[in-house]
Order: sequence, then C-alpha cells, then structure tokens
Amino acid sequence: MSPEAPELDLEQELDQLHPAAFGWALACCAGDRAAAEDALQASYLKILDGRARFDGRATFRTWLFSVVRYTAAGQRRRAALRRWLPLAVLAATPDGRPDAATEVARADGTRRLTAALATLPRRQREVLHLVFYQDLTIAEAAEVAGVSLGTARTHYERGKAALRKLLKEELE
Amino acid sequence: MTEHDEHDLGERFHALRREDAAAAPALRATLAAARAHAATTPRRRTLALGAAAIVLAGVALALLLARRAVPTGLATVRLNTPTDFLLALPNEDLLRTVPHFITIDSPRRTP
Repeated sequence: MSPEAPELDLEQELDQLHPAAFGWALACCAGDRAAAEDALQASYLKILDGRARFDGRATFRTWLFSVVRYTAAGQRRRAALRRWLPLAVLAATPDGRPDAATEVARADGTRRLTAALATLPRRQREVLHLVFYQDLTIAEAAEVAGVSLGTARTHYERGKAALRKLLKEELE
Repeated sequence: MTEHDEHDLGERFHALRREDAAAAPALRATLAAARAHAATTPRRRTLALGAAAIVLAGVALALLLARRAVPTGLATVRLNTPTDFLLALPNEDLLRTVPHFITIDSPRRTP
C-alpha cells in the first residue's frame, strides 16, 4: 500500500458494502447470479491478497465498485473466449443473460425494470444503476464506469429517457 | 422527464435493491468461497501450464518430423538475397546481344 493510503479494516469495510457490492456485481453480470457471485469472490480475493490496493484517491465504495466492474469485465471476456473453444460444450459458461431462477424470484415491478434494463446498452445500464440504485452522483458513477463526466451525463440522460419509454410502453 | 418520473424510477430501483439485498449471500460465505477458490487455483494453473507444455512439445515434434519427411535438395535451391539486385548490370539484356571477341589458342606460325 502507498504511504498515503489510509489504513482500513478491509473486512469491516467490505461487510458494510457487501449488499450494495452484490447488487452492483449483478448489474455488471446482467443479472446472472452465479456470474455475479464469482465476480464478487474474485474481487474480494484481489482486495484481501493485495492485488487490488486502495490508494485513498476515491472513496472506498467507488474504488470497490471499480474493482468489481473490472473483474466482471474480465470474466465476461474469458466466458466469451470459452464459448469459442471446443470444450465449451462440456461446461456451462455464463452467456450474459439473467438466470431464470433469479428472474422468477423477483416481484412484477422489479422484473419489468430488469427486463427493460436488459435492453439498454451496457454503459447506460451501468450509469443508471450507479445513480438510481447505489445513489451515487453522476461524477462518482463516471469514476466507477471509467468514463468522463460528460460521457456519463450523456449515458444517464439517454438511458433514463429510454428506460422511461420502455416502462411506459409495457404498461400501455 | 418530470421530477415525478425521476422519483418513480428511483423507487423502482430501490425496490430492486431491497430484493437483491435480501437475496445476497452472506459476506462470510462469499469470503470462504473466495479463499477456497484461491486454494485450488495454483493446482489448476499448474495443470493448465502442464497441458500447454505437452501441446507445445507435440506441435514441435510434429513440425520436426514433417520437416524430416520432405527431402530438401540443396542443388535445386537458388538463394535470392535481398542485395542481389546490386549485382545486376543496367541494360543487361541489351549487353547480352552484343557479340564479343573470342580468343583462339593456335600455335604461332614462324616465318
């Protein structure tokens, strides 16, 4: 850890943010619970064994979310690669869609929301999740998503309009 | 988008958050699974590296055998180096048509 890095009880910090981190991992894995759990486990492992280090430049929450997002993206790439390999038929690889069990367990309203979210581009989905679900500011969402503030604002406005339209269409 | 719409979206997301939080695995279980996964990863990595080494050795052996199977006659091969063009004379084709003197070794006559 760098000299300026704040001393943190990592497990305690993770304990406080665990439900939010799980929700974010689900969003990063398009609602696939198994993939989200894998991403979260790998992220926690990176943090606890020091491969990912908190340097105090951001809040612990935005940093943790960045680690989860980065880890989930890596898993997605590996899963995409495995689908091309001949051995893919032997093992179930996540295909980036919500798993049926998770969807069935949801209430009607949230199921409609997740279905509408699934049709949006990934960036828009991520920014909307970070702002509405995690109550982050657009600037913090930009930091987590690794985009500029202007880009995050554009994704936010477009995503919000598209989501609103989709939800209205479904009700009519 | 009105403020009401935005509030409604916020409510929907918060309902989703409550559902996710209720279904979230315990941190302790997640950490235990992560540590168990970490304990098995080096063995898996060693296996993967071993498999990759075997595949590479197989490919190298196959290439070696394939090269041995095809005989290469050095006499039939003309090596063209990148600097060969420096040896070519300008208008070489024209020069080839110019007759040139030949010398005949004949016994010199004495008067």
